Amino acid sequence: MTEDSIYPVDDMGSAASATPPMNRMVIAALALVGIFVALYLFAHNLGLGGPMVCGVGDCAAVQSSIYAKVGPVPVSAIGLVGYIALLVLSFMGIQPGRRDSRAIGGLLLAGAFGGTVFSAYLTYLEAAVIHAWCQYCVISAILITLIFFAALAEVPRLRGNRS
Amino acid sequence: MTAAFFGAACTNTIGAPLAAHRGVNVSRAEDRKKAREGGSDMTKFYLILGVIAVVGIGAVGYSVGSNTFGTAASEPVEVPGLDDQATLVAMAQGVKKGDEDAPFTIIEFGDYQCPGCGEFGLSVEPQIDLLLVQTGRAQFIYYDFPLTQVHPHAFLAARATRCAQDGDKYWEYHTMLFRNQSSWSVQQSAIGAFVGYAEDVGLEGDAFESCLKSDEHADVVSANMRLGYELAVPSTPTIMVQGFGQLRRLRNNSYQGIEEAMAAIEAAAAAGN
Repeated sequence: MTEDSIYPVDDMGSAASATPPMNRMVIAALALVGIFVALYLFAHNLGLGGPMVCGVGDCAAVQSSIYAKVGPVPVSAIGLVGYIALLVLSFMGIQPGRRDSRAIGGLLLAGAFGGTVFSAYLTYLEAAVIHAWCQYCVISAILITLIFFAALAEVPRLRGNRS
Repeated sequence: MTAAFFGAACTNTIGAPLAAHRGVNVSRAEDRKKAREGGSDMTKFYLILGVIAVVGIGAVGYSVGSNTFGTAASEPVEVPGLDDQATLVAMAQGVKKGDEDAPFTIIEFGDYQCPGCGEFGLSVEPQIDLLLVQTGRAQFIYYDFPLTQVHPHAFLAARATRCAQDGDKYWEYHTMLFRNQSSWSVQQSAIGAFVGYAEDVGLEGDAFESCLKSDEHADVVSANMRLGYELAVPSTPTIMVQGFGQLRRLRNNSYQGIEEAMAAIEAAAAAGN
């Protein structure tokens, strides 16, 4: 290794291992919010959540549409599992020893990308097919988009030389 | 540790021991500083996660808990004395709309969870209301006949309408249940949805919920069911037209069918006279 190649790695490595990656902390916090949004919708799907408090839009129209389920599985359950996975991954990724993990970075980026694409599809359905908006779905779409932007910070880490 | 390792590697590579020694010290000091900052960041992070968790658990827990607990009568109850015809007629109470002196009475035995009743309630009932009830030609009476074996929320829905009747919002609530039938029918518990609809029609939510989460009106709904069985009601909706001492059961549950039944009754009455 040359001097030029060592110092940047040294600097990056020192900073990354001593302080938890901010983007993963942001992802964890957003994913936790997402968990409760999805949990609320899932509880409603099970009939446990009572009437959906829907200040804006028509949650009932969206939740009772055929698009509220993928086969027998409510979309909210898929969202719940996705957010839990993102929370667990990001939480692992801020623990000492895993802060530079490219595997976690890759999974976070892939998960956030998949979630954003799925959420974009659901938003399209609300706008163009169901013609009704569910505020919780919109909140979830915003959350997963923010998570994706936060996950983009994994790209330099993935391009780094160290595992 | 990682930083120290790279610091040492750096010393060997560039071959400047003193500078490197100073560099290692500086690097270790920076590491300690960063570690302290990292620890501080983690503390803030856990604090934020804790706040989110507390708020989230509180909000979802309140929403679920407040709508789950409570014992709402959702099955027919044993009402003593219904074997006696007079008691049954006294106990079974349909909900009436229109002039009691109208020449015809249109009777429906309905189930709020039955799709056919929903269709009748939303398409034919408005016509009955507009063309027969409001013009004084007929009175409309709705009797509960929840098919509890196939419609798990039907009995509760019938009780819910009676709770709404306590607040003088029976017909508004009746229509609301039919309008949202596809939504509440598929839920595991419909209590929360029913309370929400009550608030939507202008009822006081707590009073309604307290009524719903009890056995209030279970006796009337059960008596109505028994009356339906006594009248051999075969299915829901069963529509009957009564007038001039005659009672006809509709085969075609449409507004036209009702008009035809009324015309037939009038013709029979005229022929009898």
